[in-house]
Amino acid sequence: MSWLTPHIGTQIVDFGSAMLLLTCFAIVAQRRLSACVDLFALQSLFLAMTAALVAFLTDTPHIYIAAALTVVVKVIVIPRVLKGVIERLNVTRELVMKVNVPASLLICGALVMIAFFITQPIIPFGHLLTRDSLAIALAIVLIGFFTMISRQKAVTQLIAFLMMENGLFLGATAATYGMPLIVELGVFFDVLVAALIAGIYTNRLQDAFDSVDTTRLSELKE
Amino acid sequence: MIKDQSIPQAIALTLAQAIVLLAVSPAIVGLIKKVKARFQCRQGAGILQPYADLKKLFRKQPVVSTTTSWIFTATPYIVFASTVTAGLLVPIFVSQMPLNFAGNIIAFVYLLALGTFFLILAGLDAGSPFGGMGSSREAIVASLTEPAMIMAIFAIALTAGSTNLSTIVHRTALLEGIVTDPSPHLMALAAVFIVALAETGRVPVDNPATHLELTMIHEAMVLEYSGRYLALLEWASAIKLLVFLTLIANVFAPWGIATSFTPMALSIGLAVYLVKVAGLGLLIGTIECMFAKLRLFRITDLLGVAFILALLGLLFFYILRS
Repeated sequence: MSWLTPHIGTQIVDFGSAMLLLTCFAIVAQRRLSACVDLFALQSLFLAMTAALVAFLTDTPHIYIAAALTVVVKVIVIPRVLKGVIERLNVTRELVMKVNVPASLLICGALVMIAFFITQPIIPFGHLLTRDSLAIALAIVLIGFFTMISRQKAVTQLIAFLMMENGLFLGATAATYGMPLIVELGVFFDVLVAALIAGIYTNRLQDAFDSVDTTRLSELKE
Repeated sequence: MIKDQSIPQAIALTLAQAIVLLAVSPAIVGLIKKVKARFQCRQGAGILQPYADLKKLFRKQPVVSTTTSWIFTATPYIVFASTVTAGLLVPIFVSQMPLNFAGNIIAFVYLLALGTFFLILAGLDAGSPFGGMGSSREAIVASLTEPAMIMAIFAIALTAGSTNLSTIVHRTALLEGIVTDPSPHLMALAAVFIVALAETGRVPVDNPATHLELTMIHEAMVLEYSGRYLALLEWASAIKLLVFLTLIANVFAPWGIATSFTPMALSIGLAVYLVKVAGLGLLIGTIECMFAKLRLFRITDLLGVAFILALLGLLFFYILRS
């Protein structure tokens, strides 16, 4: 592997995290719920590939396990569960949004800039291969947060939550070459359970209101 | 760049470039139409059909409405001239164009915008409701593609360290640019591709195959034209398509382009260029068959995506600077 110099390795890792951010924007621009789920699976696949590459470049075997878990949990299991939930719903698109698509995209662009300016003073102190990805990880977390606020369907909110989790994972990999394995395992279990609970909750919402619009929950009174 | 070239050589190269642009552009339009026909299980007209169409139109007598002003008759010449001039600023088969002292990539964008501006005026000039609708839509599309295009250009220019197209292409051909800095370039590539589809009126934005439809944009503006005026406008839009394809092919994948002025390098450069442009033509034909035209009010979403892609390309240059 003589061609895989640290410089080229950094380029590939950077490119992987750039693709992660790109899929975030694709999710923000996408109205069809099932396409959002597919894009989330794609994003998780990029995340797993980036993590595996970091593991390979830095010789940290426990990141391999985290990457494999990402593939199993976020590329296979959670998208399946979400697809099942969407099949039961009577809506396939997010039609009413608090912020429309072009405006959301512009706001997300601004969030990337904010993330960049926040991390800029910290990055030069890092000496890790992955330090450039920190800004992107923070941007993904912010975009996920914004998407949770601006969308009304429970499914999109759940995808945004999972997107934030992907951002945090990337951030952990970028800042410290991953958290200890036991922490990663705990996080994966939490995310899986959260996704399952949210799936059941979405089904209940559908049964109770005939809609998965979470603003309807404010109608609940004692 | 002009220092190591003699003046006659520079003039010859510029002329050769203009001839390639003028001669190849109708064939690309014909190729795209042929690809679409084959996808629709039709035989389709030959690739050389647009040449015959142009020849026929040049022979016909133009009809000009009595209500129009000088703008109507001047516009085809302005559009044609500005498009060809813009085309001369893009390296086609030689990485260092003799005309590169005359303008950089920003001049390129605004030369094309000049043509668009006059086309919009001409659409309004005849006073037909169709023309007005086409102009208004073209103005929407043009105002949204311009920021995306400029942002994408800055993303490329930052890595190359120059806004001069010849310098950008030359450096990338000598294995800098996209090879050493893939993320900003790929974002810019996606943005420029969407902009190219929108600017040249291809399918997700406008349908070039329809002539009388309520949603048309480019065709609505040129509806009043006939004879040699129509021929010039059709030819100019074919050249514009070719210029955008050239820009995509040579800025993002210039390998094979002649970096020196030997006859061998020049002929290889020309052959590689034709293959690349034909490949992009095939891609556009395929896209036109696979996707439906967007609703007019969804075009802003698509162009918003192009703008954000370009912006991300620009940001990645700073974020991923290691």
